[in-house]
Amino acid sequence: MSEIGLTHYLLLGAVLFVCGAVCMATKRNAIGILMGVELVLNGSTINFVAFAHFNETFEMEGQVFALFVIVLAAAEAAVALAIVLNFYNNHASVDVDTAEELKG
Amino acid sequence: MNLTTILFYALAILTGACAVAVVVSQNIVRAAAWLLFALAGTAGTFFLLNADFVGATQLLVYVGGTLVLVVFGVMLTAQGPFIKMRIGAADWAIAAFVGLLLYAVLAVSLLQINVAGAKPGPMSNSENIGQALLGVRETVPQTEITGVPTHDAPRSAVYRTRMSYLLPFEIVSVHLLVVLIGAAYLARAKRRRGGAS
Amino acid sequence: MSEFFADPYQFYAAHPGWLFVTATLLPLLSFVLIFLASGAWALLRRYRDDHPAAERMYYLFGGDVGGRGAAYVATGAIGLAFLLSLAGFLVFTFVDGDQEAARDRHESAIKELREKLVAGKGDRKEVEQDLREQEGALAAQDARWAGRSDWLRIFPGITNDPRRGTVLQLGFRIDSLAALMFMMVTFIATLIHIFSIGYMGEELEETVEDHHVHGEHGPLRRRGRFGRFFMYLSLFCFSMLNLVMADNLFLVFVSWELVGICSYLLVGFYFERQSASNAANKAFIVNRVGDAGFIIGLLILWTYVGTFNFEDLFRQVRCPVRDTQGGLVLGGQFVRGDLEPKENGAQTLRVTAPDDAAGASALLFPRDPSGDFHGVGPHGLEAINWDQVGTVEVHASPEKGQFGVMPYWMLVVAGLGIFLGCVGKSAQFPLHVWLPDAMEGPTPVSALIHAATMVAAGVYLVARVYPLFTPEALLVIAYIGGITLFVAASVAVVMTDIKKVLAYSTVSQLGYLMLALGVGGWTAGLFHLMTHAFFKALLFLCSGAVIYGCHHEQDMLKMGGLFPKMKITALTMLAGVLAISGVPTFSGWYSKDAILAQAFGYVYVHPGHVLLFLLPLVTAGITTFYMFRMWFLTFAGRPRDAHVYEHAHEPPWLLTIPLIVLAVCSVCVAWGRQPLNPEESFLAEKIGESQPASVIADFGRVENDPLWKGGRLKDEAHSERYYAQDMGWLAGDLALGLTILGVVFASLLYYYRVLDPAESQQQFPAVHAFLTHKWYFDEMYSAIIVRPSLVVAHWFKWFDLHVIDGAIHSVAYTAVWVAKWDGRFDNGVVDGLVNVVGRSVSGVGGSLRRVQTGSLRGYVLFLVLAAVGVFLLLTWWVTLVLAG
Repeated sequence: MSEIGLTHYLLLGAVLFVCGAVCMATKRNAIGILMGVELVLNGSTINFVAFAHFNETFEMEGQVFALFVIVLAAAEAAVALAIVLNFYNNHASVDVDTAEELKG
Repeated sequence: MNLTTILFYALAILTGACAVAVVVSQNIVRAAAWLLFALAGTAGTFFLLNADFVGATQLLVYVGGTLVLVVFGVMLTAQGPFIKMRIGAADWAIAAFVGLLLYAVLAVSLLQINVAGAKPGPMSNSENIGQALLGVRETVPQTEITGVPTHDAPRSAVYRTRMSYLLPFEIVSVHLLVVLIGAAYLARAKRRRGGAS
Repeated sequence: MSEFFADPYQFYAAHPGWLFVTATLLPLLSFVLIFLASGAWALLRRYRDDHPAAERMYYLFGGDVGGRGAAYVATGAIGLAFLLSLAGFLVFTFVDGDQEAARDRHESAIKELREKLVAGKGDRKEVEQDLREQEGALAAQDARWAGRSDWLRIFPGITNDPRRGTVLQLGFRIDSLAALMFMMVTFIATLIHIFSIGYMGEELEETVEDHHVHGEHGPLRRRGRFGRFFMYLSLFCFSMLNLVMADNLFLVFVSWELVGICSYLLVGFYFERQSASNAANKAFIVNRVGDAGFIIGLLILWTYVGTFNFEDLFRQVRCPVRDTQGGLVLGGQFVRGDLEPKENGAQTLRVTAPDDAAGASALLFPRDPSGDFHGVGPHGLEAINWDQVGTVEVHASPEKGQFGVMPYWMLVVAGLGIFLGCVGKSAQFPLHVWLPDAMEGPTPVSALIHAATMVAAGVYLVARVYPLFTPEALLVIAYIGGITLFVAASVAVVMTDIKKVLAYSTVSQLGYLMLALGVGGWTAGLFHLMTHAFFKALLFLCSGAVIYGCHHEQDMLKMGGLFPKMKITALTMLAGVLAISGVPTFSGWYSKDAILAQAFGYVYVHPGHVLLFLLPLVTAGITTFYMFRMWFLTFAGRPRDAHVYEHAHEPPWLLTIPLIVLAVCSVCVAWGRQPLNPEESFLAEKIGESQPASVIADFGRVENDPLWKGGRLKDEAHSERYYAQDMGWLAGDLALGLTILGVVFASLLYYYRVLDPAESQQQFPAVHAFLTHKWYFDEMYSAIIVRPSLVVAHWFKWFDLHVIDGAIHSVAYTAVWVAKWDGRFDNGVVDGLVNVVGRSVSGVGGSLRRVQTGSLRGYVLFLVLAAVGVFLLLTWWVTLVLAG
């Protein structure tokens, strides 16, 4: 514990990931679910960067990948938001519990 | 007790607490705020890991772009009843259980990683990232960039053949364009047909 | 046949027997013509409105009213038949003369020539030529009065003898009896046809009212059936003449049935009347009962003797009178014997003496007439040592020239069987019940069929097959005749319907005939048959005239005092009554005396059967009594019913001329050269010419019989016929006495009204009831036969309804039940399987549907859990695989 090793960073990433997953599962607001998605992606990014830092062969790849993740996360957030807004326009609600039309 | 440790723990606690707060918070606006801090904490973690460019990008793009987008969304939709939406206790219990289960699995598998060979090293600077994104390779000894790897140069742990990330870079840019158009189309103003359609 | 068309006269001259055949076919032709004409008329009637041609032809055939055309055709046919038969009889009697003598001449010539041939004397070729000539002449003589052709040969037969068995033939044979019967039948039939033209006049109208049948709107109205009557009469005449002419039992049987049918049709002429249709059924059915016996007899004869032809039958069943060696001792009799045990596969019969009751089998002679029957018994008239009589080899299925054998009791049964047929046809006890009911038919029918001809057919058949009857059978015949004549006469005494009296009188007289034949009076019986035909027909026609004159009133109690109104009828009827009573010089006297004489002779030889003489004697008196009673009730005294008396009138000439003719006949038909001599009669003489040899063999020979060429004769002490001839005068005197007694009684009761019949009715009510109910025969038959038949019929109906129909119903129910179960199986199991599959799939789908909760958060949770699960699974698995 004296040295902050890879494990610490990985655990942090895991915490973010789990929070994001739980946030996705518990939020009724569609934007809330989106926030969960951001958290999940961030958690994975921390993992990438941690591995890049602690492993020299992985140095470049990790960072590049993290960049890509960030970019794509942004793109995905945009699309998701568009969808949510569309949903809000049609249903006048962002409560995902009302989105039960595909219920079997 | 060096600075790295203190900083790490501070940042870790900040990020973790803000992440948990995002989950727990009932008010969507407050959750957005907590998310902001969580993302900021993540950026700090990047800096701590010597990934300057990534951290900067995180702040710029993620916090300044994505999160703003999220906040826009929140603002657009945060009408009266949608600000605070609660779920039942059973749902909390199940979600908590699942979360803890997942964390347990992840943690257990994480702790079994052999980190003996994990030594921190210097991170590349932006120049290297840029060159990688452009598809430029560094050769040792430094000669003309021909794009052809030479095999007879002695290999050292430092010098390595760089991957070229030009193609993914292009793809991502095109992807962004598509997303732009798609999102714009999706979210266009439509005539409401009296409610749910 | 081509000879006939080439030169008819020559044909008839060569074959005069065909005159009788033509006479038989004429009524058949009349029947066919009337039948076709009425058929055409019926067809034209249907289409008369459609085509004018049809309408014209319709009126040609008689139109709506109908005409007498059928009657003229029928009467003309039968009249012509009479003339032909008269011609044939004259040829038979005067042209051919004594055929027996000619036959003997030819046969002896043939025998001589054959001996010459064997001995080798004379020129062979000449002898052969003479032989052929003589044989040809014999054959030609045979062919003059007989002829036959094979009609149906069924299969080759069980022996090599082509003449044995399994051939049905059509043939005729005319002898004096047949010729006389022919003349009688055609003559009476012609007169009755003429009578019917007048009597059936009311059938000429378009609508006839029948007051005996009550419909919804009063009495029945129907179309007149004049032509139909004559059609039936013609058919009857044809069948009767065919029966007379037939030379084999098969043809007799065919005609038998035909006359039965005609009787049915004619008795049921007014078939809308319930009584008439019942009577017709009764007549036919009772006849049928008799026919069963007839068939049994036929079967037995067919089986053992193998032929139906009379000549062949007699030749085989009775021993021939003579053979090549001379007269046979047993000539004309049954040869009886005992079968000895078989040796070397050959069966032998030991001939036994005829006077003993021994001998269980009867010998059947070979059909080959020219044989030597030496083994059968010695020749000549000498006394016989029966120990020396030989044994004869017999065979079960004899070939040509071999002897056959049949059980004696079979022969008795055969005789009784044929007699049973005659019992039915001639209305003897116990099958006499149909004749009185048959009076439902029109009176001419009763006259023709039930007096003169059809009922005579039975007697005629008995006379024809006389040689077949064993002494036991003849005794049965005699007793049945005796019972019949007494029973019927007793019933006739109390009858009030004029036709019923005559019906019972007929039954009684037929009993006389049977009795006569049974006691050996072959000639006597047939003689009485002929005379009876005439006077009974006369009596019936007179009653018909009375009925006609009284406007269809048949009850004698309503008549009376009709003499002044219907003189001719009354006088002719008186002639008939006198004839039947046996008043001297009337025809009945001769024949009745002959019968009584023969009965007396029989009883003299067999005193145990004295009843056979007493019954006819007493009944002679009873006959006289009831006949005179009838006449007095009808014509004498005061009229009992004013209405009937007022409207009574003499019938027209068409009806009375036949009466007069028949009255004349009934007086003088039996006359001989000396009218006052009861034994002299031309008719009896002629009949006697046809007498079979068995009569002489069984009952002895008398003066007038032809020469006996056989061997032994019955000696006088045992000859019934001898006594009949010798002491017959006694019987005649007794009969005359009883006749006078009868007349006196009848006059006392019904003419002079000294004694009152009503008193006697009150004094003997049980007897009177017994007699009025005809000895309760109908009731007895109803209880014994009719009701059990109905009970059995009900059983069968129950069986049919419940068992047979029940079986069918149960099959149907089973099928329905099976179908239901099958349906349930199909619906439940088969469809169920399919439904279960569908439902389970649907259920699973329904259950699985709930996985899609539509809840986003739930999906996320599941996602996470699945990821964890997969991860864990993989790690564990990999760990395990790597470890293991």
